[in-house]
Amino acid sequence: MKRYVATRLALGLVTLFCVTVLVFVATNMLPGDAATEILGRGATPETLARFREQLGLDDPLVLRYGNWIWGLLHGDLGQSLTTQASINEAIWPRLWNTLRLAGLTALVSVPLAIGLGVLSAAREGSFLDRALAMGALTAISFPEFFTAYLLILVFSVKLNLLPNLSTIFPEMSFLEALRAMVLPVMALSCLVTAHMMRMTRTSILSVMSQPYIEMAFLKGVPRAAVITRHALPNAAAPIIAVVAMNLAYLVVGIVVIEVVFVYPGLGQYMVDAVGKRDIPVVQACGVFFALAFIGLNLISDVLAVLVNPRLRRPGGGR
Amino acid sequence: MTDAKTHTPGAHLSRRSFLGTAAVTATVTAGGLWLPRAAHADTPKKGGTLRLGMEGGASTDSFNPMTLSDEVPITLCYAVMNGLIEFDAEGLPQPELFESWEVEPGAAKWVFNIRQGITFSNGKTLTADDVIYSINLHRGESVSQLKGNLEPITEITKLSDSQIAITLSEGNADFVALLGDYHLLVVPEGHSDWNNPIGTGAYLLESFEPGVRAVFTLRGDYWKPGRGNFDRVEVRYISDAVARTSALQSGQIDGANRLDPRTVDFLAQAPNLNVVRSEGTGLRYVFCARVSDDPYTNQNAVLALKYGIDRQKIIDNVLNGYATIGNDHTINPNSPFFNAELPQRPYDPDKAAWHLKEAGLSGSEFRLTVSEGAWVTMPDCAQIFQQSLDPAGIRLELNKVPADGYWSNVWRVDPFCGVIWGSRMTADENLTVCYSSTSPMNDSNWKNETFDKLLAEARVELDQGKRKEIYATCQQMASDEAGHVLFAINDTLDGYGKNVMGVNKHPRFGFDDLRVAEKAWFA
Repeated sequence: MKRYVATRLALGLVTLFCVTVLVFVATNMLPGDAATEILGRGATPETLARFREQLGLDDPLVLRYGNWIWGLLHGDLGQSLTTQASINEAIWPRLWNTLRLAGLTALVSVPLAIGLGVLSAAREGSFLDRALAMGALTAISFPEFFTAYLLILVFSVKLNLLPNLSTIFPEMSFLEALRAMVLPVMALSCLVTAHMMRMTRTSILSVMSQPYIEMAFLKGVPRAAVITRHALPNAAAPIIAVVAMNLAYLVVGIVVIEVVFVYPGLGQYMVDAVGKRDIPVVQACGVFFALAFIGLNLISDVLAVLVNPRLRRPGGGR
Repeated sequence: MTDAKTHTPGAHLSRRSFLGTAAVTATVTAGGLWLPRAAHADTPKKGGTLRLGMEGGASTDSFNPMTLSDEVPITLCYAVMNGLIEFDAEGLPQPELFESWEVEPGAAKWVFNIRQGITFSNGKTLTADDVIYSINLHRGESVSQLKGNLEPITEITKLSDSQIAITLSEGNADFVALLGDYHLLVVPEGHSDWNNPIGTGAYLLESFEPGVRAVFTLRGDYWKPGRGNFDRVEVRYISDAVARTSALQSGQIDGANRLDPRTVDFLAQAPNLNVVRSEGTGLRYVFCARVSDDPYTNQNAVLALKYGIDRQKIIDNVLNGYATIGNDHTINPNSPFFNAELPQRPYDPDKAAWHLKEAGLSGSEFRLTVSEGAWVTMPDCAQIFQQSLDPAGIRLELNKVPADGYWSNVWRVDPFCGVIWGSRMTADENLTVCYSSTSPMNDSNWKNETFDKLLAEARVELDQGKRKEIYATCQQMASDEAGHVLFAINDTLDGYGKNVMGVNKHPRFGFDDLRVAEKAWFA
């Protein structure tokens, strides 16, 4: 087990390195650079040249990448090209915001999704099952901004119950902060719950057709116990994987929700930086996004092995 | 209702009495009718927290005057800093930190008197050295966007602590207006920490998270009487138009800029809101044909496009009527130099077909590069353009490209593409930047010696009547010969809570020239 984790960690580091190289190269391949984007349409070749020199954009790519990764290894994410401010300081509140929103959404949606999924599987073909399936498909089919605007229209504009601006400020009390986050959490939950719920239902049902489940039924075990004690642990691996995927999505993929609810997370920060070709900031965000993906995948794989001992032996039980 | 000049103008700020009578705010009543309302209906009251929600900024913003380019950072800068010159509601330059000035005939030698008794937020008293330093930030070894505009300055001399002289390489009657540019903010000599601004403005920066929020507190007695009325000002970045209007409707903010023209009619009906509309002051929407490339080298080909565009239909359908029709040159109708004699070019497919025939073209030679990078609704505008050219026998091909990198990859590269031009405060700057032979921004590549000569003549002419005549000719030439199919100039639309007083329309920017923080007050 230790060896398995160590191998995965090493592979994760390699992936992380590749990601930073890719992000760096890709951002540099975009037309224009920080100088042209900051100086805008009024830039003259002369001011552009001076600006590039000031920002160190004339240095060869390899050198710039080398400097950046050297800083990263020392815990320094560098300086923003546009604001000249330290990225370390600017990125933490954003990262914290992103993690808080993702965490809160996960807290609401994961138990809900798994619970409903199990319920759906237990009552396969019932009215409830079909209603949940329909609800899930509807929630998935609406684009996220549409769900968000509907929530804003109802809860902010018409009922004036909840704020549509979700930024958390230090002077807010805990309850105020919680209240500010209700709408984005609701919108995101609509999105991710459906996916996880469907996956839970499908994997449980596929296990349900196995001979050992039939055996359990024949022994006279009640359906509820068959599902929770026999089917769920064996169906856990794909469920955990899909939960991890959705959590990763909550960290990296919610720029639209951030914009609509004016929630200053990492996504918006990265989009702004890409627009201004602020490569160090893009790089820093890229590292955290990659970390979220790699970390969550690692955790999901390890958990899958822990809940299902058969996976501990390579090739065994699959 | 029409005149309520009850505030107390200071002796050195006599323009404020002028503002009181001349500036009116357009207000929308429940019936959707625009009625003028006296802007300064009350004496300014002190106190309260003004919360603004704005589009036009990013998490890359700072208080660096050299790289200012969008509305949020400009608003933030105006809260803590002052300029040398301020524009009034008519768009005319008025004293700010420059208290008065004299000019010698020829408009090349200027002497400016600096307002006395002003202190910076760090306690330092404003002197000529600070002003010279602040201007020089944009000269010489500078990366400022304003550098090009200040190139004609050959020398700045300190005459005393309260007086400087500026010499220009060639005369410019509009030089004072040039000094009103929003980049020209005054900071103490030697200051360069752009994350910790120091200025002579009404407010102090309390906290700033770029892309999220800036908070200001009142500094104390502000040197402009009747201004700087709030205890606290919060500017929040809200780039999504729906989020901005929802927050305004539900009272989470007191003011929102850049309202969506497609929904503003509904918003104006809300009983708790005021909409301020500044007509024809915003962006000029242009389909720009480069007259040095075929087929646009033929003047008839460009004229065919100019007659073949249904301007009103685009304005009605895409801009919901919140725009002024354009006449293929960049001077807006509010400008004192606007050529009202020049007939508005109509939508006339027959005439377009005639010009096409004159040019000897079949009508399938035109290819427009379309992108949301030029402006968000450009694809919609281009489609109506395409349809309206159809009856004239012109098949316009639309070539859609992504928004990213538009200004470096498409603009001034493709022979026919979209461009927006911002409002510039003087006729000279408008025409020189867009149409003079030597301007690097002359995107339609139209070069005309007579036009250049006329511009140079007007620049040193101090007689306004004569200047108006010259500029009228210039507008006619640009409209007929340059490659700009300039079909609309949009309105600036701001929304405020009903209790926000003292907000006017302004010919330069929305949010009362982005100085709403110092100008407004709560009822």
